Amino acid sequence: MNIVVLVKSAVDEAELRADPAGHPLLMGAATKMSNFDMNGVEEAVRQKEENGGTVIVVTLGGADAKKAIKEAMAMGGTRGVHILADPRGAPDSLGTAYLLAKAIKRLGEVDLVVCSEGASDTYQGQVGAMVAEYLEMPFLAYAKKVETNGGKVTCEQGFEGGVRVLQAKLPAVVSVVSEANQPRYPTLLQVMVAGKKAIEDLPLSSLKSEDYPETGMEVLDVTVQATNRKRVLLDGSPEDASKKLVDALKQEGVL
Amino acid sequence: MEVLSFSEDAGLAGEVAAAGRDIAMLLDAEAVAVELDEVSAGLHSARKVVLVKGDRALEADPDSAAAAIVEVAKARDVRALLVGETKFGTVVAAKVAGRLKVGSLGKGKRLRVDAGRLVLERDAYGGKYLAQVAAKLPCVAVVQAGAYKAVNAPIAPVETLSVNVGEPKVATVEVRQSQRGEADIKSAPKIVSAGRGFARKEDLALARDLADALGAALGCSRPLSSDLGWMGEEAHIGLTGAYVHPQLYVAVGISGQLQHVAGIKDSKIIVAINKDGQAPIFQFADYGIVGDLYEVVPALTKLLRHG
Repeated sequence: MNIVVLVKSAVDEAELRADPAGHPLLMGAATKMSNFDMNGVEEAVRQKEENGGTVIVVTLGGADAKKAIKEAMAMGGTRGVHILADPRGAPDSLGTAYLLAKAIKRLGEVDLVVCSEGASDTYQGQVGAMVAEYLEMPFLAYAKKVETNGGKVTCEQGFEGGVRVLQAKLPAVVSVVSEANQPRYPTLLQVMVAGKKAIEDLPLSSLKSEDYPETGMEVLDVTVQATNRKRVLLDGSPEDASKKLVDALKQEGVL
Repeated sequence: MEVLSFSEDAGLAGEVAAAGRDIAMLLDAEAVAVELDEVSAGLHSARKVVLVKGDRALEADPDSAAAAIVEVAKARDVRALLVGETKFGTVVAAKVAGRLKVGSLGKGKRLRVDAGRLVLERDAYGGKYLAQVAAKLPCVAVVQAGAYKAVNAPIAPVETLSVNVGEPKVATVEVRQSQRGEADIKSAPKIVSAGRGFARKEDLALARDLADALGAALGCSRPLSSDLGWMGEEAHIGLTGAYVHPQLYVAVGISGQLQHVAGIKDSKIIVAINKDGQAPIFQFADYGIVGDLYEVVPALTKLLRHG
């Protein structure tokens, strides 16, 4: 089975600092493979282990996105493809999907495309479905269980009202959630071997044609969210602290 | 010119219609709510409704719903489509944007119009930052619960459109509804939320008792609904679950990861109960009690019940 897994190199939000005006200091900020993508890679590798075949890791991003591909390769990816984009003029979700789909079409016959439910930095959950639209493949979203069998994929999808069991013919695009699996930690040897594997570069311009969607998307501003909380600690015995809390909540008018 | 709104969630449909009305006014356009299969009882705020009926149940799967909305959009002069934020809605929005080749602003709370573009305020970097993102019209945006209030407005005559969407690419083999014991978390005025501080599933009875005493809904952080499976997906609050906006949010045994805090920051008052005084949740709380939840929660419940 030929499997493509889509990963994103994301700013490590835990490490991200703001300047005095509250704007994130993105230049030189640490990046890594988006957390949620570890589940995507794990699922792709498991499917390969069960069914044989290859796992091609595809990403779109600046030079530092190579690191994300290598992380995925260390987990069991067989091939890496990097669509080189200028991080300052990063495409929007539709543009990203367009470029990823164009790249996937160049990879020959693909049976399964795996991605995660969203990226840890933006978490918009749009690209997977849009890639499926461009590839004209079925899209099975928010899968917490994935099974491939006899040219079909069956997923359990967790949603607000319970679980849906979804099924489609391969090839298909599947987005997985963190319940789907427990991502493996690569060994040092796997990390070293992955580090030496060649990654194919695809210049963005080689994928862009006149049908590229110009959505005029623009990030106008990003600022840190103020947390104006009172941060009052109530001490004393559990009973005393509870009493203080109830009094405070009555004062606030929420009780 | 029209602004369309859609949600398969009857409660959210009214809120999204209210957002549609605001944006339509700014664009000097008409707000139109799209309803699939039938007009839901919960729909308010829409002056005009287009009811779409298909050759199959359109709200049964995102393929059919997206195909129906695309048909509506093609038949009218649509400037924007606003979709209520659920997992279903998020997929529908992406599919419609993908089919019409228009931008999707993603999910966020507040919308505005700036220089003829639609601007959405949405979370970035795990909810630590707020981004203002603009797209030219027409475009799609996903609206989270709580930002717009549904208003009771007389619904004007319904226009009906018949569409033929054919077989969806994805078959829904089975739907297993979870037991909806809890009140709807997205609109609950008070919420008690449980985290990893609870050692066993049975101990959640403590949180449930506190919720009962407060008249609150019971929610949880992600580990409880996903890894541990102690609670249903509908109770999961945070970046990858529900965004909530209660008057009172009581976080019990929750450490306060960014991903959880992202979903609670619109709460009026946040209370944290955690034995670890260094837990980040205290930075996001108005009132904190550093203590063992197994002692504090019963004491608090008792006080609320008996004064």
